[in-house]
Amino acid sequence: MSSKPLAEIKLSAASCAIIISRVACAFLGLSGVLKHDQLLSTSLSSYSQLKEGVFLFRNGLDPYSGGNFRHSPLLLALFSVILPESRTSASLIWTSFDLTGAWALISIWKARQNVGATSKDALINASYLLNPYVFLPTLALSSSTLQNTLTLLSIKFAAEGRASPSLFLLSILLHVDLSTILLLLPILLLLITDPHSHLASPHPLTANLRRTIPLFGKYILYTSILAIASTIITGGVQWIPQTWGATLTLPDLKPNPGMWWYFFTEIFDHFRPFFLMVFSVHLLIYVVPICIKFQYDPLYATFLLLGVLGTFKAYPTLSDPGLFLSTLAVFPEVFSYLRHPIVTALLHLHAALLMPLFNHLWLNTGTGNANFFYASTLVFACANGAALIDAIWAGMRIAIGREVQNYVVVQE
Amino acid sequence: MKLALRWLLVFSSTCNLVYGLTTEIFDENLKINHLQDGRVSTTFTFETVLKGASPRDPRTLNTQDASQHYVLFPLTLGQILREYAVTELHLTLNAGNWNYDRWGYPEEKGVGTGAELWAWMGTGAPTSVDDRWKGLRNALAGLFCASLGSLDEQRTTSPTRSYFPQGVLPNWNGNSTHQLRHASLPSEHVCTENLTPFLKLLPCKSLSGVASLLNPHRLFDADWHGMSVHVLWLGAAGIKVRLTFQSLMDPLRSSISNNQNWSFQSLFDHTIERNCPAANSSTVQVTLPSSDSYSAVPEPPVVSGSLATYDVLTAQKPLDISVSRRGEFQYPSSFQAVAPISVTRTLQGFNQANGRLSLVLRNHRSVPQSLVYLETMPWLVQFHLHTLQARVEGRIHDDVISDISYTAAVPHSRPTTFQAMLRLPPNSVTRLNMDVDKAFLRYTEHPPDAQRGWDLPPAVLTPLILDTNGTHLSDEYRLGEPIYTSTLLVDVATPDFSMPYNVIIFTCSLVAFIFGSIFNLLTRKFVVLHLDSNQGN
Repeated sequence: MSSKPLAEIKLSAASCAIIISRVACAFLGLSGVLKHDQLLSTSLSSYSQLKEGVFLFRNGLDPYSGGNFRHSPLLLALFSVILPESRTSASLIWTSFDLTGAWALISIWKARQNVGATSKDALINASYLLNPYVFLPTLALSSSTLQNTLTLLSIKFAAEGRASPSLFLLSILLHVDLSTILLLLPILLLLITDPHSHLASPHPLTANLRRTIPLFGKYILYTSILAIASTIITGGVQWIPQTWGATLTLPDLKPNPGMWWYFFTEIFDHFRPFFLMVFSVHLLIYVVPICIKFQYDPLYATFLLLGVLGTFKAYPTLSDPGLFLSTLAVFPEVFSYLRHPIVTALLHLHAALLMPLFNHLWLNTGTGNANFFYASTLVFACANGAALIDAIWAGMRIAIGREVQNYVVVQE
Repeated sequence: MKLALRWLLVFSSTCNLVYGLTTEIFDENLKINHLQDGRVSTTFTFETVLKGASPRDPRTLNTQDASQHYVLFPLTLGQILREYAVTELHLTLNAGNWNYDRWGYPEEKGVGTGAELWAWMGTGAPTSVDDRWKGLRNALAGLFCASLGSLDEQRTTSPTRSYFPQGVLPNWNGNSTHQLRHASLPSEHVCTENLTPFLKLLPCKSLSGVASLLNPHRLFDADWHGMSVHVLWLGAAGIKVRLTFQSLMDPLRSSISNNQNWSFQSLFDHTIERNCPAANSSTVQVTLPSSDSYSAVPEPPVVSGSLATYDVLTAQKPLDISVSRRGEFQYPSSFQAVAPISVTRTLQGFNQANGRLSLVLRNHRSVPQSLVYLETMPWLVQFHLHTLQARVEGRIHDDVISDISYTAAVPHSRPTTFQAMLRLPPNSVTRLNMDVDKAFLRYTEHPPDAQRGWDLPPAVLTPLILDTNGTHLSDEYRLGEPIYTSTLLVDVATPDFSMPYNVIIFTCSLVAFIFGSIFNLLTRKFVVLHLDSNQGN
């Protein structure tokens, strides 16, 4: 082919425009305004906490001996080497994480469609780079951006069948955020099968499950190597309760868009350990059923578990549900089977407008109280839940095909 | 009756012989100063020295302690000290904010607002220092009717660079060490229920001697008042207990003709009617006005410099010392700084999630001033140390702050301890700024009236003073008198206290709804139903 079709040139021009506009956003200097925004970064992902930890680390103080530094020692080591001095360069680094994430998402799309380049690439690109849930945390320099990038890269390598990089990235991800252990099982399944869409033709798993055992061993090996590296970096195991422990015991009750913080602000003290256990175990409950039901399409199972994480994890930012919504673009075949996309979209719109407003009313102007913001996070959880339920429905419903007149498809 | 008394006397002297021949000396003193702004500071000091006594060795805590027989030494305090093997103890309870710029240094230097307790305790005991510290603060809470029990782990620090032992620390077996525990509770209010147990520790209560002037109605009406208890070991000289009460009266407030005249009667509404028979010495010291004409009644028997000393034991009773000055009091247009620096500490920002701690330090001297800066902060205010910045006259100076030692707070338990060395350029204004995070608390952690906020303890700045005793060649510094900043009030975001059940129900319902819907979808089969068009459904 000597010349590309006009449409394709237009689309690649659109991609370039998106990338340029995102890079331009990095120069706006919004990070100073957004860095304290509780919807965009939690204490596990906040840039100021990261800087504080790096400052303490460079001055010979153990950042894990106390305080609110809850980033992984791997990030501490990384950013004590490359921590940018100016906000603009930090924004550029964070934008480059996003661009990498978008590239990984396009690769996942290509692997799923089993094609070289498609006309939809620019759309996939836009769905990630122009998703406000994704780019606002980037502008706030939240490390959840890096988490998303690692997640997408790990899925990308898994979709391409490259086990080692995928599992290595997944074990880094585990160090950054403990709850991403949910993704382990679908990614193992993805590694022994293929990423192509089998949603329309369900069939039992044909691959031999035993093949996951060496892969799992590899994952354990990488995780332990990284754990040992973390211990060497910090000179002790204090980082374990400060990072992994924080996701399980919720010591910091700063508001975030998730469901945990207000529940554990208000829970009676004698029930706290019980409900911490319930909320943590509740996340794990989804893994096996979703993987069994979608054993013929593990990439879709991975996608659904991203939705579970975005809805239910302990310290979410907007970028966690944002990742789920952006990844939906990879599965265009299910779009026509969604039952209530408008309701979901309106719920998201409602929550996205009210959450920042009520957060501001409660904490800055003092004219609203905590219940206002709590109510808007409940709406947000409804929106995420609705999206997740609808994605599960559509993923299964597609197997039946179009409805014919006088026939109706129901669940028994 | 007389026989019985004599027997009692013989018995008690035998006891003294048996139990280590300790003799006790009680001295009382009242010091009255005139301050620049027309106020009068009064400082009562009651000292009991238990001669030849030594603090309890903590290693003997498991064994039976020697019986305690005191005549003048307060038994209740002595029991607490021996029970927890406390070597040195300092407790202050103050109300109000001491204004160093106008009032100069106080006679008793511990003037931090609220309650402050610090103790040095030996190690090597069967129970840990922290356990004994816990017992100590609870025992003192009971003794002084104060909320010292709230000085728990969330408030306890060991700031060893600002708090040094004021007596001698014993060395029991050649390598025994001591540990410091310090805690302060700025929200503690001092009132008459604390004074009553304080008076009970005095041999003559408030019945006679200088202590008879301690009239709660007047003391707690003062512009500033505070009491303190200090126990220290003087080495071979024994154990000293010093009880003090400071108050800052304002004679101008009740004066009709705007003059500074005062008398015992006008200040305390009491006079000294009789001596305290237990007192070894009982004196009243008055710093006489420097320049203008005055008359002191009765005429002071001893005047050295501007300090007049009255011996209460020999003075004619009832003793009502009064000092009157001719003419109206001229309020000074500016105050002569006594302390080398003045400090303002504020917490800035209206946001309930984060703020900025700001310290403005003015060096009044024409020489650089070094200070030890101590900040102890409950965990609900968390420092961002990387944002700490010192500006001198608006320009960033990196060499102002040095030698930082920092213990980060642990949420829900340990407070922050921040100690640093500051070096202020001569005649300058230095601003320290640091971003802080305000924590979000569990609803049970909020105090009653949560919207009022939390009081934060004062920072302590201790100037380093060049020791002029030696030659100029030796760079010997010693710690000067500490300067306590004012306390702060932090506005912490509050949850809704009325609806824990609602929140639990709402969140659980939503989780259950999503969980239920998902498992409903996953576990049920899809079927295709034929719609019978005849029945219409």
